[in-house]
Amino acid sequence: MRKKKHGGFRRPFVVKTNTNTKQQPHLASVDPITGKKIPKSFVFSRGKIPGPLKQLQMDLRKLMLPYTALNLKEKRRNNLKDFLNVAGPMGVTHFLILSKTATAPYLRVATTPQGPTLTFKIHEYSSAADVAKSQLHPRCPKDLFTNSALIVLSGFVSGDLPLKLTTNMFQNIFPTIDVKTVKLSSCQRIVLLNYNKDTKQIDFRHYSIRLQPVGVSRRIRKFVQNHQVPDLRNLQDVSDFVTKAGYGSESEADEEAATVTLSSDIGRVNRASMKSAVKLQEIGPRMTLQLVKVEKGLCSGEVLFSEFGKPGEKGKSDDENDEDSEGSEDQDQDGNGSEDDEDGEGDEELN
Amino acid sequence: MAEEMQLQESRGLPRKRKFAKKQGHKKKPKTMPPPHGQKKVKIDKKMKKLFRKRAREYNSDDDEDEEENEATVPTTTNKHNGEEIDSEEPSEGEDNAEGGRKRWNKNATDGHNEFSEDEGGEEDGVVQPGIMKFTEGVRAFKLAFKNIINKSVSEDSLGPILSGHKKLIADKLAEEEAERETKGEAKKEKQKLAEKGHVKPANYLVPHEKFLLSVATKGVVKLFNAVNKAQTAQKGLDPSRNKDAKEIKKRTKAAFFSELGKPSFTATGTSAKANALTNKVEDEQPAWAPLQDNYMLTSSKLKNWDKMPDKGVSDDVGRASEDSDSSDED
Repeated sequence: MRKKKHGGFRRPFVVKTNTNTKQQPHLASVDPITGKKIPKSFVFSRGKIPGPLKQLQMDLRKLMLPYTALNLKEKRRNNLKDFLNVAGPMGVTHFLILSKTATAPYLRVATTPQGPTLTFKIHEYSSAADVAKSQLHPRCPKDLFTNSALIVLSGFVSGDLPLKLTTNMFQNIFPTIDVKTVKLSSCQRIVLLNYNKDTKQIDFRHYSIRLQPVGVSRRIRKFVQNHQVPDLRNLQDVSDFVTKAGYGSESEADEEAATVTLSSDIGRVNRASMKSAVKLQEIGPRMTLQLVKVEKGLCSGEVLFSEFGKPGEKGKSDDENDEDSEGSEDQDQDGNGSEDDEDGEGDEELN
Repeated sequence: MAEEMQLQESRGLPRKRKFAKKQGHKKKPKTMPPPHGQKKVKIDKKMKKLFRKRAREYNSDDDEDEEENEATVPTTTNKHNGEEIDSEEPSEGEDNAEGGRKRWNKNATDGHNEFSEDEGGEEDGVVQPGIMKFTEGVRAFKLAFKNIINKSVSEDSLGPILSGHKKLIADKLAEEEAERETKGEAKKEKQKLAEKGHVKPANYLVPHEKFLLSVATKGVVKLFNAVNKAQTAQKGLDPSRNKDAKEIKKRTKAAFFSELGKPSFTATGTSAKANALTNKVEDEQPAWAPLQDNYMLTSSKLKNWDKMPDKGVSDDVGRASEDSDSSDED
């Protein structure tokens, strides 16, 4: 199993403390200002997964950059234990595990070494390439992945256990930022998790942030940004070019609500204390997730929440036992955990 | 005869060679060189006539001896004629003899066709009146060849094959097709399973996606505004001075609380993030980590996560105030 990781000096195995840290431009495993660990992750798959899922795995790896192993190579015979053994010295705090059964692909998010595991069923997914194909102007500046993404969670209001776990888990995966010292130019990506109470599904989206100066006419803005010499042959005077009232596009109306005043200059066109509009463009994978299981251990241990009840989860755990060499899973159900009995879906899982 | 030939050759060689050389300069070979083993022969007009006549009169019923006799006759006559003719070859005798032999071979090959036909006829067991004459044989061969060529190619793509074999081949083909069908179906099933859940996004902007985009944008805007406020507020103050540090803290706290106080439907969303942010702000005492009181000693958030149901996400304000108390104590 070979791994390639940027930076990250090797530290002795440390009991995982609070992983909220400040964002650092350099890849250290410990944030020197707060002394807290920067969360690092491994994205890999258990069992054989088909082509489109492999693409999704690659996209997820890119999403987690820079604090992840982009070129993580795994062999068939690697167990979860192997990953755990390597994770310790390298300071990896989270695992994102993709797997596929006959019914659907699953994504497990776990905290190492003994943290809880959340299992999500992926109802739908699209890879980054699909998203780019569907857009008219796909955008991917080359330094887009040099900094971590921000995370925005919305709709997680209900406050019951599994949702809270989800919230905490995702907050911990991404390094937090310190408002006082963060540079806005380094906030280039955002991950959105939107919870829909009715369908109990979580929409996972990944956007790139772009700032555009507001109040500048379209032609001048394009001229400055694209360096394309405009066509002036029909104009009498340069002032015509500058002052011509162009029609406003419909997106400009949205921009009104999205304007921010920047505290510093970003790029060539956005200046401090001038209004700029925040424009998001979707990159990266798109997923619709549903939380189906929460376990206390790393893919093992007590099951604290299960969406489908006992027969369903037994089917799923059989798959896991085939793949991992970890100990057998306890079937104890926590009385506090809320359960939804959906026997129809449970039968589906058995198959 | 041989001696004579040799004498003639010896005498003729130098003469012929000189002549040959001169001739070589003037003339250039316009025709293709004869194939290996055979030497170029000039056929006299008389000889041509003779050959044609022989072809007309050729009858395969004649004895082979007669054929040989006929063959030897032309060689001697050829030799004579060859000496008279200007030829570039040094050894004419041999040349002519070979030429004669060649011609005889040619006749023989034509005759062979007739032979085969005759033999075919004879092999049947009954001596049929086959074609004996050379000219007729040629015609007969031509007709037979035409018949074969003009026969239409059978529609069966396998070509002309024996009837019994046909059945076997048909069976094999049917088997192969059946196999291919099942394999194709299995492959399709596999592909369907692999693609399960994989959805290609639409080209246009679906309203749901637009909604999600707006949610994300609002989150980002909030964050940027908070950052802006925090950073512009502290521009005037130097973080290393203790007094100013406290001032900074107060200001940022106030800024955050005002931000959080703003009603918006993403309250929990951004407050979840701001929660972490406020934690950061509160935990920072001296600017450098090791100087803090709780450096590396903070309890793990996740160890207590199962006891955390009381402290909800919405309680961030309460928690922030608790922390502020603890920080104000030092």
